[in-house]
Amino acid sequence: MRGQVRRGGQQAATWLFIAPVHALLLGVIVIPACYVVWLSLTASTFGRAPVFVGIANYLQVLGDSYFWRALGNTIIVVLIVVHVELLAGLGMALLFASGLPCRRFLLLAVLAPYAVSEVSAVVMWRYLFDPDIGPITTTLQALGLPTLDWTFSPTDGLLMVALLSVWLNLPFTFIVLYAARLAIPGDLYEAALVDGTTPLQSFRHVTLPLLAPAILMAMLFRYIIAFRLFSEVWLLTAGGPARSTEVVAVYLYNEAFRYNAFGPAATTGWLMVSVSLLLATGYIWGLRREMANAH
Amino acid sequence: MRIERLAIGAGKAVAIAAMLLWSLLPIGFIALSSVKPARDIFAVPPRIAFTPTLQHYTDLWLHWGSFFVGLCNSLIITAGATVLAVTASMLAGYAYSRHRSRAMSRSATFLVAVRLIPPIVITLPLFPIVNWLRLNDTHVILIILYATFFVSLGTLLMRGFIDQIPRELDEAACVDGAGPLVILWRIIVPLATQGMLAVAVFVIVFAWNEFLFAFIFISTRAKTAPLVISEMIGSFDGVDWGVLFAASTVQLLPVLIFVLCMQRYLVSGLTAGAVKG
Repeated sequence: MRGQVRRGGQQAATWLFIAPVHALLLGVIVIPACYVVWLSLTASTFGRAPVFVGIANYLQVLGDSYFWRALGNTIIVVLIVVHVELLAGLGMALLFASGLPCRRFLLLAVLAPYAVSEVSAVVMWRYLFDPDIGPITTTLQALGLPTLDWTFSPTDGLLMVALLSVWLNLPFTFIVLYAARLAIPGDLYEAALVDGTTPLQSFRHVTLPLLAPAILMAMLFRYIIAFRLFSEVWLLTAGGPARSTEVVAVYLYNEAFRYNAFGPAATTGWLMVSVSLLLATGYIWGLRREMANAH
Repeated sequence: MRIERLAIGAGKAVAIAAMLLWSLLPIGFIALSSVKPARDIFAVPPRIAFTPTLQHYTDLWLHWGSFFVGLCNSLIITAGATVLAVTASMLAGYAYSRHRSRAMSRSATFLVAVRLIPPIVITLPLFPIVNWLRLNDTHVILIILYATFFVSLGTLLMRGFIDQIPRELDEAACVDGAGPLVILWRIIVPLATQGMLAVAVFVIVFAWNEFLFAFIFISTRAKTAPLVISEMIGSFDGVDWGVLFAASTVQLLPVLIFVLCMQRYLVSGLTAGAVKG
């Protein structure tokens, strides 16, 4: 009897303990995210009650060439950023694992950009690549090389955004891959050496297969996060010139807060969530498998 | 064989130099330029020898007083978000570590799933609600938002750390008649400080640097430092680079030093958070 009471008490304590976290998540993220679905089916602006309009917003957004342009830009930037990061991060992880002098210092140096805000990073890269007076621009000019004309050319603007994003996020990708590389037992490499494999063969047949799950998870995670890209674009080009460098999040912001079109903005938001969740199912499926293996 | 060794050594040296340049050059450039006299900032080729000056910092102080108010606001918001996120994560992490059931593991998956929703999407429905609650342009709204976006990771990190504390300790305390809160406070908290620090590092870096939420929900009274810097960038044509460098350096240095000191916790958290969930 007493045991039962105690059990019930513990159960209650458990629920109470997880309550604050779930209250925050439900109140700030989940319920608003569901409300977005409703908003996406209505026409509404500031101070006016939403009116149900069915799928009109979806038709409008999907028929808007600016939306497709923004989506295309986002996909291009995400693909560049994530794959450059994975390649560079993998290279760095292998380099660190192969033994480096002053490893601790180098690790600190490589992690430094993680601490930098998007805003400060924009200040740095705008300055370095300033079209008239930036040190990198003038150096490139002096060497007779092409420069990044990011204030006028949309392609260069997006490249600049990608460069900045890679700089900010490479420490994360690198650390994830480095940790995964360190988790591979050294015996495997010794065994491979005894069997007379070349370094390239041992990379191909030992490192790569064992790193594959970590690479895949890092890739999915970075796809999901990179897809939200907003601040870098907003602070560099604000989507200009002539909305040519907009990404989906900037498109959403403009619809909502510049044109006061909450319906189409909500539709864009819901499309963003759908893409993220689609990527996320893969991610969570992988995580669950990994968690199951861990226990 | 020796030539091959040399070639590998040279290759590594080049790779190390490239990594250092890539990571540190932008940071070093603005930190250095913030103490350069205005005429030397854009000298071609970049001038290494110059007389350091604090001119830009005095200008920043005189013309952009709002920046220093922004730093104070950032400090308040960062502290608030950290306390809220660490406390909530600690409580939930303990519960998740000690009580495993189907429902609990489902709700742990829910924690991860929620975090994958893009923040900008929820600003839409939150905007009118926040206005209605009169929370727009306050520190409180940013504290709540920043904490919420890190409680998922925080909870899972804390669960991992608390898993390593032997259950026998809480069972012994339980036999002695201690309730769950007492056990948590007397036994778990002292042994889980490492985990709390790891969670704190993430929240601090995020809250100190965040731009999007501040940009949308804050207009005047609770402006954070990144928001003020973005206004400085935005004052087009009239960009005073020297002052901008000074502001960025002030915004950046404390958190950079903090991260470098706490690197150990950061790495353990990053790897646990990303790969193991």
